[in-house]
Amino acid sequence: MMTNTAINTDTATHKGLIDVRDMGVTFGANDNKVVAVDNVSLNVQPGEFVSLIGPSGCGKSTLLSIVAGFMKPTSGEAKLDGKAITKPGSDRGVVFQQYSLFPWLSVRKNVEFGLKMAGVEQSRRNTTARALLDLAGLLSFENHYPDQLSGGMKQRIGIVRALATSPQVLLMDEPFGALDTQTRVVMQEILTNIWQQFRISVLFITHDIEESIFLSDRIYVMTARPGRIKAVIKVPLPRPRRAEMTDTPEFMNLVQELKGLIREESLAAMAPEIKDRGLSGFGMKVGPKGVGDIF
Amino acid sequence: MGTLASAKIIPMIDKQTDPEPAVEAKVSAVQAPDALAPVAAEYPVPEPEPIPTVSLSKVFLDLLGYVTRERIITAGLACLSIGALFLVWYLGTKYKFEFYIRFKNVPTPYEVYTQLTQVGLSNKYLVNIAISVRRILFGFMIATLIGVPLGLAIGKYQRVRDFFMPVIEILRPIPAIAWVPMSIMLWPNNEAAIVFITFIGAFFPILLNSIHGVHSLDGVLLRAARCLGASEVRLFLNVILPGSLPHIFTGLAVGMGVAWVSLIAAEMISGQFGVGYFTWEAYSLVDYPAIVLGMITIGVLGLTCSGIIRLAGVLLMPWLAFAPGGKR
Repeated sequence: MMTNTAINTDTATHKGLIDVRDMGVTFGANDNKVVAVDNVSLNVQPGEFVSLIGPSGCGKSTLLSIVAGFMKPTSGEAKLDGKAITKPGSDRGVVFQQYSLFPWLSVRKNVEFGLKMAGVEQSRRNTTARALLDLAGLLSFENHYPDQLSGGMKQRIGIVRALATSPQVLLMDEPFGALDTQTRVVMQEILTNIWQQFRISVLFITHDIEESIFLSDRIYVMTARPGRIKAVIKVPLPRPRRAEMTDTPEFMNLVQELKGLIREESLAAMAPEIKDRGLSGFGMKVGPKGVGDIF
Repeated sequence: MGTLASAKIIPMIDKQTDPEPAVEAKVSAVQAPDALAPVAAEYPVPEPEPIPTVSLSKVFLDLLGYVTRERIITAGLACLSIGALFLVWYLGTKYKFEFYIRFKNVPTPYEVYTQLTQVGLSNKYLVNIAISVRRILFGFMIATLIGVPLGLAIGKYQRVRDFFMPVIEILRPIPAIAWVPMSIMLWPNNEAAIVFITFIGAFFPILLNSIHGVHSLDGVLLRAARCLGASEVRLFLNVILPGSLPHIFTGLAVGMGVAWVSLIAAEMISGQFGVGYFTWEAYSLVDYPAIVLGMITIGVLGLTCSGIIRLAGVLLMPWLAFAPGGKR
């Protein structure tokens, strides 16, 4: 085994603590006011892989946007290693759901981008980028343009590009949401392998239950709008994670548990649409004032 | 942990991409016989890039490879369409076709050819071309240097947009030719006035397409760049500019066309020298073949200019060849 110094995988620093306190986000004003996130507190410990799962529209992406520094919360605050987050920065790598590679740059130049912004010299950028591409299994594509690659390849490059600047945390907003199921499963294995080497804190947004269990140490389950934390679930599966683990009873039990939690929320989220047909068939009671009052 | 060697797990699981490097190996083996790809496929420590070797026979074969059925058909149709134009012209003038349209006074292709051989290398003709080209160059360059940065700034910043757009919207519908009298009053000499009119013609298409380029930029790219630590200036140079480039080049191509239209009109109205002046002068002197020669000259010059822009676009934006929908 030889050590490659091109990638900083030093975990001794124990940095990367994400701390979200009493966060609330409200869109619009007065009559059009929509509470997207309501009084959410969560944390990601250094080196921990945490998923945030919930029905669509529950404000999980909003929460990630705040941690990434794209927007400010209406109330509460988000901190990284004790410092309040105010704007985007290279201490937080972000992987987006949409493909976000720069189409005018080659694959390698895309991975080098963050280092270039940081003023790292060409030869070192090159070495680091090649090492990371090797890690993603895409070194032979370094001179291709993103438009020549498949969706799964683009997202892998997106991940290593976010890792290139040695961020303290990685924020992932449904990174595999646009991929087909088979590619998705492979991507999850690749991600868990990469994470195993870097061991940095990850906040992972998803609505895929199996995905969140397979990848995470802990899972926050969010309620339908307004988004609150409904439950926190620890995943006791050993590391490193292997594909076979998805067949174990432990894994299945967790899936069942989460499914139950999510189902309630999905029904609540869809309540206005399905109320007319009656919710009795879904095993839910509808109060006289509407579904919103149940929770 | 913390070593790259342990990354060997990845290719084993990665069923989707495992066969792909093999395909890639073949492709790049053709381009560079040094065989970088097979080495890379085994995921060792990264190798330095190979130095491509060039052999004459390979270059020849590559060139031969460009002669495909598709290209032959394209070239054939191009010859056919230009040939048809000349045929209509030839027959019309030969038989003095006259049915509402009058070919009576139109010179034959041969007369124009004779004109070209007589005037073609004369100093007067070449000077006229050179002067027109110089005016285009100046007007177009100034329009690019102002239009692109201003367009990017307007596209990016709401306040800049709020300030400039009202003026732009008022001035934009005024055609460059309508600026001729004003331009003559405004500028100290004729040359500057004509360059100004050329500038006006090129400016608005370049500006508006640059604005549109910024607006059509995917917001996620800007967010991604910010996350990767791009400062405001870096964002402009490394993301907004290259990202808007396809639209900027559309603007440049359109702007070049309008610049020629404006230039020729200005030269005809107020000019001394220039291809437009040459053509108008021929009309005044009842030198019919020279009129057609002037027209063809304008056509060829315009074609050359837009060809140069398109070539520059292809060279500057090689990635577009792979973009969905192939903008090229």
